[in-house]
Amino acid sequence: MLLSNEPSFDGPIPGQSLTAEVGARPWQSPSQYTTVDEVIEYYMARMTSEDFMLQLVDVMEMGIPVTTLANTIQMSSVMEGIHTVDTGMLVLPVLMEMMMLLGDSAKIDYVSGLENPDKGKTRKSFLAKAASQYKESLSKTDVKELVEESKEEEQEDDTSSGLMARRK
Amino acid sequence: MSRQYNPAVSAYNNMDIENLPSVKEKDTSGLLTRKSNDMDKSMDYSSPSIRVAKQLEVIRKHRNEIDVA
Repeated sequence: MLLSNEPSFDGPIPGQSLTAEVGARPWQSPSQYTTVDEVIEYYMARMTSEDFMLQLVDVMEMGIPVTTLANTIQMSSVMEGIHTVDTGMLVLPVLMEMMMLLGDSAKIDYVSGLENPDKGKTRKSFLAKAASQYKESLSKTDVKELVEESKEEEQEDDTSSGLMARRK
Repeated sequence: MSRQYNPAVSAYNNMDIENLPSVKEKDTSGLLTRKSNDMDKSMDYSSPSIRVAKQLEVIRKHRNEIDVA
């Protein structure tokens, strides 16, 4: 793995989670909706609003996968304390299906995110394995012997074979 | 672009709604017909995943209708 020498400023500062009282964050208090039905109802009401639909269609047209959008939406709701992580995970397929329904009804081309982009490509691990096997086989074989053998073969091939050539 | 782990992919793919038991329409519809349904007994509607699957089934049906039209 390639490690960068440059410091990363994206992550939280160590101890940052201890800077607020326990229960002060929205996700640390009881969630607003507790059952799957309530959460689905909440999202359906949000997703059928015109503003949301227009924004969603724009974002989907930009090529952002539906899976990423659905996960981001549910995760932000968890952070706002609207529902818990487990109910969020459960309603993810419904969110995705609803988004795809909106995309289909708007007749736009969208990326579902369900296809594997690496499908059909050669794995890097496979290439590394092949390279290591090749190196291993090279170390086992005597290269000098092989070179001499090939030279002898070349010399045999060079002997003239014309009609006027001397017979051995 | 490398693919990061997204729980939405596995959550969606694991929803096997095609194999959900379908509701059979009764032949008789009189007042004295029994209301018990065998399908209801085989499915646990108190399970959140079953409830989600039923919701998903409805939306998928609408989506398929749009695709066909």
